Amino acid sequence: MDVDIIVVGGGHAGIEAALAVSRLGFESLLITQNVDSIGKLSCNPAVGGLSKGNIVREIDALGGEMGRLIDASMIQFRILNRRRGPAVQAPRAQADKNLYARTARSILEGQSNLQIFQDTVTDFLVDGQKRCVDGVLTERGRKITSRAVVLTTGTFMEACIFVGDFTASSGRLGEPAAVGLGTNLRRRGFTVGRLKTGTPARVSSASLAYSRMEAQHGEAEMLPFSFGNAAVHRPSVPCHVTYTTEQTHKIIRENMDKSPLYSGKIVGRGPRYCPSIEDKVVRFPDRTRHHIFVEPEGLDSDEMYLNGVSSSLPEEVQEAFLRTIPGLEQVQVVRPGYAVEYDYIDPRQLSPDLQMKRLSGLFMAGQTNGTSGYEEAGCQGLMAGINAVRYLQNREPMILDRSEAYIGVLIDDLVTLGTDEPYRMFTSRAEYRMNLRHDSADLRLTEKGHNTGLLGNDRLSLLQERRSSIDEIKELLKSRHVSAKDADVVPDFSSHIGKSLYQVLKTPTVHIRDMIVLEPALEKPSHIITTAELDVKYEGYLARQDRQIRKFQKLEWLKIPPGFDYDGVDGLSSESREKLKAITPLSLGQASRISGVRSPDIALLMIVLGKRDSHGK
Amino acid sequence: MKYLRYDTDDPIVALATPWGTSALAVIRGSGMGSIELTASIFDKPEVLKKARGNSSHHGFINEPRGGPIDEVVVQVYRAPLSYTGQDSVEISCHGSLPGIAAILEAMKKVGFRDAEPGEYTLRAFLNQKMDLTRAEAVREIVEAKSRTAHDLALGRLSGALETRIEVLKRNVVLMLSHAELLLDYPEDELDEAQDIDTEILSSTISAIDDLLATYGTGRLYQEGVKVAITGKTNAGKSSLFNLFLREDRSIVSELHGTTRDYIESWITMDGIPVCLFDTAGLRPSNSGVEREGIRRTAEIVRNADVVVYLVDGPVGVLDEDREFLVRPDITHRSIAVWNKIDITESVAPDGFIGLSTVTGEGFGDLEAALAHQIGAPDLRGGWDGMDWCPGTRPGNPAVIDSVRQKEHLESALRSLMHVREGIDCQMPTDALATDLRDALDAFGELTGEVTTQDILDVMFSQFCVGK
Repeated sequence: MDVDIIVVGGGHAGIEAALAVSRLGFESLLITQNVDSIGKLSCNPAVGGLSKGNIVREIDALGGEMGRLIDASMIQFRILNRRRGPAVQAPRAQADKNLYARTARSILEGQSNLQIFQDTVTDFLVDGQKRCVDGVLTERGRKITSRAVVLTTGTFMEACIFVGDFTASSGRLGEPAAVGLGTNLRRRGFTVGRLKTGTPARVSSASLAYSRMEAQHGEAEMLPFSFGNAAVHRPSVPCHVTYTTEQTHKIIRENMDKSPLYSGKIVGRGPRYCPSIEDKVVRFPDRTRHHIFVEPEGLDSDEMYLNGVSSSLPEEVQEAFLRTIPGLEQVQVVRPGYAVEYDYIDPRQLSPDLQMKRLSGLFMAGQTNGTSGYEEAGCQGLMAGINAVRYLQNREPMILDRSEAYIGVLIDDLVTLGTDEPYRMFTSRAEYRMNLRHDSADLRLTEKGHNTGLLGNDRLSLLQERRSSIDEIKELLKSRHVSAKDADVVPDFSSHIGKSLYQVLKTPTVHIRDMIVLEPALEKPSHIITTAELDVKYEGYLARQDRQIRKFQKLEWLKIPPGFDYDGVDGLSSESREKLKAITPLSLGQASRISGVRSPDIALLMIVLGKRDSHGK
Repeated sequence: MKYLRYDTDDPIVALATPWGTSALAVIRGSGMGSIELTASIFDKPEVLKKARGNSSHHGFINEPRGGPIDEVVVQVYRAPLSYTGQDSVEISCHGSLPGIAAILEAMKKVGFRDAEPGEYTLRAFLNQKMDLTRAEAVREIVEAKSRTAHDLALGRLSGALETRIEVLKRNVVLMLSHAELLLDYPEDELDEAQDIDTEILSSTISAIDDLLATYGTGRLYQEGVKVAITGKTNAGKSSLFNLFLREDRSIVSELHGTTRDYIESWITMDGIPVCLFDTAGLRPSNSGVEREGIRRTAEIVRNADVVVYLVDGPVGVLDEDREFLVRPDITHRSIAVWNKIDITESVAPDGFIGLSTVTGEGFGDLEAALAHQIGAPDLRGGWDGMDWCPGTRPGNPAVIDSVRQKEHLESALRSLMHVREGIDCQMPTDALATDLRDALDAFGELTGEVTTQDILDVMFSQFCVGK
């Protein structure tokens, strides 16, 4: 055996997988098509955002790297949706792309047990019975053996990019696709589909007239994503906002026949939540303008990312319509926008540990599984890395449930429901999102990260410190009552005399910072008082959510043993039986979420499993 | 997200004896906390809380924070020594329908929910209280389950009700997808963002209110209607009562005023339970007992849904009869009957149904009129003038006719009221979305689930999103 675990791909999933494996003491080999492309942010120069920011912090709380990478490379920071409630606030940072990728690469290079190797994987090796994976075969004909493989190929498997009539076998503009792997997966009987995504043009900053756009600044205080970082000290630069015009839309409409999306060249399904500008113009003909965010690609880069106008129209059309946009009249395109179509595997072939059900030792993570986004990829890479190690150790996999992490929601959705468009996380996908706040990711997951072995004792003591500071604040709020004298200081509190600050804080318009004048001990860093404040304010909702979670967990805890014989269950409807056999859910809860499995069948399984249980006792 | 109601230990309640008037009835509750919950409406809560398994306790069931409903005996079972294997109670109460209904209502107020068919047995299976090798029984339960599941979803809804509920549900989906849009995309990316539409919210709330108001009519099936037989003494009221019952339960005699008080009994007409009252005759009297009887008759007549007024044919219509029949509170809910057509050869005058309680002649006409009257009063205006043939389930009017429908609608209403209150006190959107989701869940239980994917579909099709 050459190495313990091979990680194929050096993107956000590959980085997390390789680091997790080697940090857990196993030898990993990261094979990438181009060592210089490790950690690239292929699309927008930003990390985090709604629900995605929560995922980054969950990755960090489990011992992953993404939080630290963005902390080291951010060039603007914001908390989104502050006004819309605690469950949906999330941090987002603009990233310096080059710095991000450089940092990632140097961390990989500095990691013991981890070796980087440049080649293209075209197939994998399997044992004689074709039951488990034995390694990989590369384009240059090398056979590299290992006990497990984590496949994180992103948009590269059998990829094809489109700019108008131009097509090329590439996974990113100018970077060759990984040819052969997708075909071999199909040949081996795996279900492989096509997805499509797109990216907008990058333009020269020097050619833009920023005076004709609105500047959008970040927040004064940059907050770290990583719970291990006390603060972030990075420069902050603005983004700019401008809008398409009627003229822009006219040009796009007139050239629609030249779009590969509409000419039928692209068969893969694109993300509805992030449509190309062609899509927006066609689907929303009444809109007179669409916004564009002009985002810097890095401090030392002249390239600007035009967020909002992803397009695969011919480059001269792209240039023409861009020049109808205020501030972009003289724009010089550095790289045109393009669409990319690629192979993804139907993730319902995976069990919740991200392992192929039909081929042990083969783990899949990231965009290959039909997702979209750095954060979605990163968290899968981390989980696949952890579980590949546990597979070698013959230990139970680590599976997060829907009530404890967005990561749990994501993986459960993928392996249970599958996806037919690039899957992006949304807060609305999480039933228990009140519980999944970004500021509570450490409270939810640090202990798990520590048990896994990816987090040291330092992080555990940080957690305990934070937890007790939060409790102290809550106790203080409970014991301190509003007096008549307080109402003189804060007149708004005159209707609250006699109440505890804890009760007063539940008033939607009252904030904990209004109370500091009355109780200076409340003056604490924001990561302490914000969490305490949200816990108090939404106590009722959280309690309700907890009840729902307990109900949910009851079915989750009813495990279906591996190899369970659905054919032996008399009375199951045939549709449910087929679905259950295909998905092989781990729990009755997961079974109940499979689309098309009827409720009475779940009841029947419950009875049958209860019976087995009683026999086992 | 599936609305799976296979919670296996939450408290459930059901009437274990048939729904009808009898000397005694047994109400059964089972599940985690069922003893404590029952204790909370028992007049000696501590006694029940501390009660050992297999013990009986005499006392009163009270309204939650209210007066007594009925004098009962509560049998306490402690897990695992009960039918279901869980903590359970059996309440033996008096077998009057209003009393049973009030106890069930009180139990649900403190946290029980209606048991579904087969649910007790299902629990018994799960707790290994039953022989699990009997596959037949298992299948039976599963079939019961699927029937209920089906009933719960579309089966029970008449076409019009389903349509109306679907409209309401769509409103909630729309509001929720607005809210979710606000939550799923940052402020600056949404230039067409709208807050939750308070007009849709208000109209949905009032539409649910309207729908709930039809429960009175739907209730016919659930709780039945009250029909009072009245008229002057010796008009043949008891004979008619017996004709209805087709059994000799009340005293029939030629003497006036035999039925001094009243007698009630339940019959079924075209599937609708009918509580029939045979009242004391209306005539001036000096006897205290009779005066009391007449006072009660007046009260029964006042509360009845339909009044069958008998005129003694041979005597003819007297002034008092005429006065009674034109009373504004009576005329729209009364049926005038001309009795004893076998004795005189005269035909019943216009507006009267001719009847002989001796030969049964005309009884069919009376039944038809009664059935029509039972269906008609509350339904008038309930749909657009469509005639509803009594006895067939209403195919067109949107009427809720089951407690379950009512409860889900009420729960949707509560959640939407929370949304409104939340908007008023400026709660953030994610909190409002929680209540909207609860409302949607309630609709989901009525007409089938709404998945996250459905909400995302509405979002993506209605709004231009994404950078």
